[in-house]
Amino acid sequence: MTEKTDTAVSKVETQAPATQATAAEEAGKQVRVMRPAADIHETKEGATILIDLPGVSHDTLDIDVDKNVLTVKGDITLDTPDNLTPTYMDVHAGGYHRQFTLSAELDSSQIDAQLKDGVLKLAIPRSEKHKPRKIEVKAA
Amino acid sequence: MISDMLRFAPLALEGLDDLLTTEPAFTLMRNRLHTYPQINMGVTDNSVEVYLFVPGMDAESLDVSLEKNLLSVSAERKDGVTNDDDTMSRRERFSGRFKRVITLPEDVDPDKTEAVYRHGVLHISVAKREEALPRKIQVNV
Repeated sequence: MTEKTDTAVSKVETQAPATQATAAEEAGKQVRVMRPAADIHETKEGATILIDLPGVSHDTLDIDVDKNVLTVKGDITLDTPDNLTPTYMDVHAGGYHRQFTLSAELDSSQIDAQLKDGVLKLAIPRSEKHKPRKIEVKAA
Repeated sequence: MISDMLRFAPLALEGLDDLLTTEPAFTLMRNRLHTYPQINMGVTDNSVEVYLFVPGMDAESLDVSLEKNLLSVSAERKDGVTNDDDTMSRRERFSGRFKRVITLPEDVDPDKTEAVYRHGVLHISVAKREEALPRKIQVNV
């Protein structure tokens, strides 16, 4: 079951059965997901999104863009010894899920993604025609 | 001018529904003001395992110390801002100094501690003292 507080998606999905597919879930396992913290920076060149995904590796990260909706999913993999009995848990979820709606000014086909130490950095450029440009004023 | 108006429209934002979530206000607040970093802990027969979710750090900048059974972790997290010209349309990630002190069970052996930072998770493993380990007792007939 998805934790209610973690639903970071559109109304349609909130009303849908409260589970979201993650890689592990597709493999037949139910995984609770949470909403990762994100920063969005806007620059002249485009937008940069930083998302905290501690515990997620390249192998368990899944990013896709459908029209203007960017979806980021990731499973947490911890190196846990056998017979570990949890005594305290802040993190109950097994993964992260978050969606962003991208403005038409951005070129979603040119997204650059880098994952380092559990932080995902997505750089999305402005499409050419939306880049600010200087207009030369000719002397009369 | 149209372009002037557009300038204030954020380039990337979440669905409106994010603002209209049906969650009670207190759960939202709990999420936003969550203790940083988040911690998971567990025990095995011969060790205590602590996981701190501290993404985007240099392993060297993490200050980990263990005094008797008191484990403290402190560091400063930079917010990773690229430059001043940027507009931040969303800021949720923690930045600044943090410190968490965790009381471990009393039977740990501070000399046998290992810490590994991987994928943004600091994993600290502390062994239990020899005399605290479970041992099998032979039943004599």
